[in-house]
Amino acid sequence: MAVSSGPTSGPLRRDDGLLRRIVAHRADYAYVLPALVVMMVVIAYPIWFTIDMSFYKTPASLQLRDRTFVGWKNYQTILTAPAFWSVTLNTLIWTVASTFFAFLLGLFAALSLHREFAGRAVLRAILLIPYVISAVAASYLWKWLYHSDFGVIGALSVQWGFTDKPINFLDNIHTALPSLIVVNIWREFSFAMIMLMAGLQTVPEQLLRAAQVDGANAWQRFWHVTAPHLKGVSMVTVLLLMVANFNSFIVPYLMTGGGPAGASDIWITHIYQIAFGRQNWGLASAYSVILFIVMMCLGYFYVQALTRGDKGRPE
Amino acid sequence: MSGRIDGWRWAGRVFLVLILLFTAVPMAWMLLTSIKSQFAAMQYPPQWWPAEPTLENYTKLLDPTNPVGRDFLRYMWNSFYVSLATTVLGVAVAVPAAYAFSRFRFPGRTFLFFAVLLRNMFPAVVFLMPLFILMRWLGLVGTHGSLILTYLTFGLPLSIWLLKGFYDNIPVQLEQAARIDGATRFQAFLLIVMPLSVPGILATSIFSFIGAWNEYVYAATFLNRQDQLTLPVGIQRFFAEFATDWPGLMAATFLMSVPVVVLFLVLQRYFVRALTEGAVKS
Repeated sequence: MAVSSGPTSGPLRRDDGLLRRIVAHRADYAYVLPALVVMMVVIAYPIWFTIDMSFYKTPASLQLRDRTFVGWKNYQTILTAPAFWSVTLNTLIWTVASTFFAFLLGLFAALSLHREFAGRAVLRAILLIPYVISAVAASYLWKWLYHSDFGVIGALSVQWGFTDKPINFLDNIHTALPSLIVVNIWREFSFAMIMLMAGLQTVPEQLLRAAQVDGANAWQRFWHVTAPHLKGVSMVTVLLLMVANFNSFIVPYLMTGGGPAGASDIWITHIYQIAFGRQNWGLASAYSVILFIVMMCLGYFYVQALTRGDKGRPE
Repeated sequence: MSGRIDGWRWAGRVFLVLILLFTAVPMAWMLLTSIKSQFAAMQYPPQWWPAEPTLENYTKLLDPTNPVGRDFLRYMWNSFYVSLATTVLGVAVAVPAAYAFSRFRFPGRTFLFFAVLLRNMFPAVVFLMPLFILMRWLGLVGTHGSLILTYLTFGLPLSIWLLKGFYDNIPVQLEQAARIDGATRFQAFLLIVMPLSVPGILATSIFSFIGAWNEYVYAATFLNRQDQLTLPVGIQRFFAEFATDWPGLMAATFLMSVPVVVLFLVLQRYFVRALTEGAVKS
């Protein structure tokens, strides 16, 4: 460890050669090595593999020596398939609607819970339970609530006179996707709530009081004092929700499997179907690469949002 | 206080009641269904309150002498084993890495740090096929090792990110003082830094554990033998077999949720901290 330059000793300057700096710090890498090895094996390899596979036509058996190079053909097939645009539209609706409503409900909940009152901690804990339990549990629970014959939601809508007979939520092309989005919001809004509650604690109390003394009403205080302080945390929250929704598989897969007639098919379920249903691995890989690119764009904004204010920090 | 402010506060209360109903009613319905007989659950209009409540669904699942209970307890044990191994290994790998990212200034540090963070950007399904081939090559398909290795990487980015935040807040002077007193760098780390980072380790552990406990996609692909399955997959297979046993399924999902909910309630403070750390700068 003697070689390692500690946090303060630092005998080397930035303008020393890169190689020299790497050699001088070689002991430091030992600390990150286990993490890097695991990440390389489980991340770098699959990414390389996926990009490589996307240019091949592969047999269903997944015997890689029998594959044939097809160039950009897989990408062509995807972008010209009519299903691509409907699946993309579903993915957009799913991601944007889930994120929007989860964030909105989370914001209202955070604002309502910000003030101290009896039972506040208990309430917060209950609201977080859907976020903690498995998506498999949530999917089966909601499948039962939506059940076409014995579901409690259908029964209530008849009892309260909204409909004549129970709605078949998950088997109807108009209601399937919105029904899944409700489940997603149920699972996720408390994540936004927790993030925004933490954000609210950074709003200086004096500033709010000063605004009140100056005659600002509740809305003005929220918009001009509270909201600016929530900007950073809101960015991170929305991005994390978008990534999670974009990637969420279990709820649509277990509840509708993308059906009926593709009405709730999103990219992830579609890729899964191509890979494990049709066993067209090359095509699924090309789809995955397109998804990678979208995710990298979101990832760029995520890193930007996380590192804001870090710019002045010395390296 | 003017009436106007009270108006906002009342709106907040009404909203809280509504959101509580939205959250709790589905869970309450899960519990109510789980104490019904199969016959009672399949009625229209539904029995709002079970006419003859029964614990039969629970005793069946928890009884090691009948086949259903034996399988269920087996799945639960598998889930517990995999989740615990993931958590312990995760801490062992994340602690040194986070410490290095916080303390050392080696070239490529920032790049490597964000490369690790980006893991969370990628959906599980996309990695399924390459990882399956990789695990086949490593001879890990059909073992719990394949799941533990995979879950490790889910948890790592968050663990490293969180622990780095903790280490950033522990003054370097504490370690330097120990070094002056004759401690080696490793001793200073073990005796000074480690004890101070216990909250961070707890926070990351609860996240790794819950993540591993709830994971479905990889467990469904990598495992094949019935006696190896973890709970989420086991429950799905169970449901495929007894498609109309909704009370049994609800009891099973309830039992599956109990450990993570209890863990969450006990360690709530750390859980919340883990979620919000890094995103909120005061």
